[in-house]
Amino acid sequence: MNVAAENPGSWRRILGTLALAVLLEQLPWTGWALVLRPDFVLVAVLFWVLHQPARIGFATAFFLGLLADFQDGAAFGQHAIAYAIGVYLVLFLRLRLLQFDPLRQAAQLFPVLLAVQLAVLLVGWLAVNPPAGLSILMTVPASTVLWYLVALIVRLWHGKGLQDRA
Amino acid sequence: MAMPGQLMFARRLGPTARLLIWLLIGVACVVIDARYRALDGLRSGFSLLLQPVRQVMRAPSDVATELGGFFTRHRLLQKERDALLAERAGLLVKVNTSRDLARENTELRMLLQLQARPGQRVVHAAQLYQGHDWFAQRITLDQGAGAGLRSGLPVVDAAGLVGQINRVYPASSEVTLVSSPEQLTPVYVERTGQRGLAAGSGRGQMELRYMPAQTDIRAGDRLLTSGIDRIYPAGIPVARVSRVSRSQSSPYLRVECLPLAGVDRARAVLVLIAEPQVRAR
Repeated sequence: MNVAAENPGSWRRILGTLALAVLLEQLPWTGWALVLRPDFVLVAVLFWVLHQPARIGFATAFFLGLLADFQDGAAFGQHAIAYAIGVYLVLFLRLRLLQFDPLRQAAQLFPVLLAVQLAVLLVGWLAVNPPAGLSILMTVPASTVLWYLVALIVRLWHGKGLQDRA
Repeated sequence: MAMPGQLMFARRLGPTARLLIWLLIGVACVVIDARYRALDGLRSGFSLLLQPVRQVMRAPSDVATELGGFFTRHRLLQKERDALLAERAGLLVKVNTSRDLARENTELRMLLQLQARPGQRVVHAAQLYQGHDWFAQRITLDQGAGAGLRSGLPVVDAAGLVGQINRVYPASSEVTLVSSPEQLTPVYVERTGQRGLAAGSGRGQMELRYMPAQTDIRAGDRLLTSGIDRIYPAGIPVARVSRVSRSQSSPYLRVECLPLAGVDRARAVLVLIAEPQVRAR
């Protein structure tokens, strides 16, 4: 695993995509766009955990989770815990996920993303107060679609893709 | 045989162990933040870091709005201008009257030797970002401690009360909306003077709590801040009653209201800053 070639998973590329995800999240989303916004940061983190587990792991996910907490004015730790759980699930399912084509991979990711949002909901519920609605879960399908698109683009770009180095 | 000083089983912690460690840290964060509010420094740090980014990311939509506005039809502008001129004339008359009234009011107050109401300053702020939190509805403004804001100040727009400042960062601040769950606003009914407590019920609505069943209140009544909390100045419009219903099981009426301010669509808002009260002896 340590023979990671410099090209597809270089630090520059990893940090670039993570920064891009954070930037996208900073756009002034309102109304329906806000409800349907995929969780760019989560998708980016899980993608790199899947393909470069030696470089991106719990620490990065936790820090970006804190950032997401700040973003939403939520209690610190809410998203951080959820993202850590997401990383764990992806690491657990990693070898399995890498075998699938983009569509099936996205379908397999759906329960993982759902679990992450449910963790956010649960922690917020325990720590702050009952949620005002379940619109939070609307990001899960959007994130799944985003994952599908990303996986598709990566596959088209790299032929069989980053997956060969599993 | 292992050499002395060489680990026999050198390996990283497994994912489960690492997950548990991070979960512990996460729970600690939540507890420290939610119970003791001790992480506000970290929040300020993030705010300083992200403030320029947010400003930049807002630019494209601002430019699009500008361009869209540029192509507004000439006729529409003319019509709007005529309407505005008429409105201005009407307002000028009202301004004169209110100036007169204000003068009279000061005189009467002096006469009664009442304490003058503390002077108020307003800070203009624009909505920067809408939080995606499901436990409290918040918006972020582009003014912060630098403009003299502090937490607890009321935020209004042209139509009424928007909310209350909740957290203040150096150059931005978070507002809890009046329609946010558990946000209480002391109000009175404009028509009858009946005082009450309006609470946000989430999803952009509010309810008037603890109104005895025989209270005179009906749909269409306006609710204004009563000012008895010494946080909101008296007389700011808050909401309009949309539905009154009576339940068999409860001694209170169920009064649903809709906030008057563009709680989730206002872009430009005002923050009211009451100057520290000067005690005139």
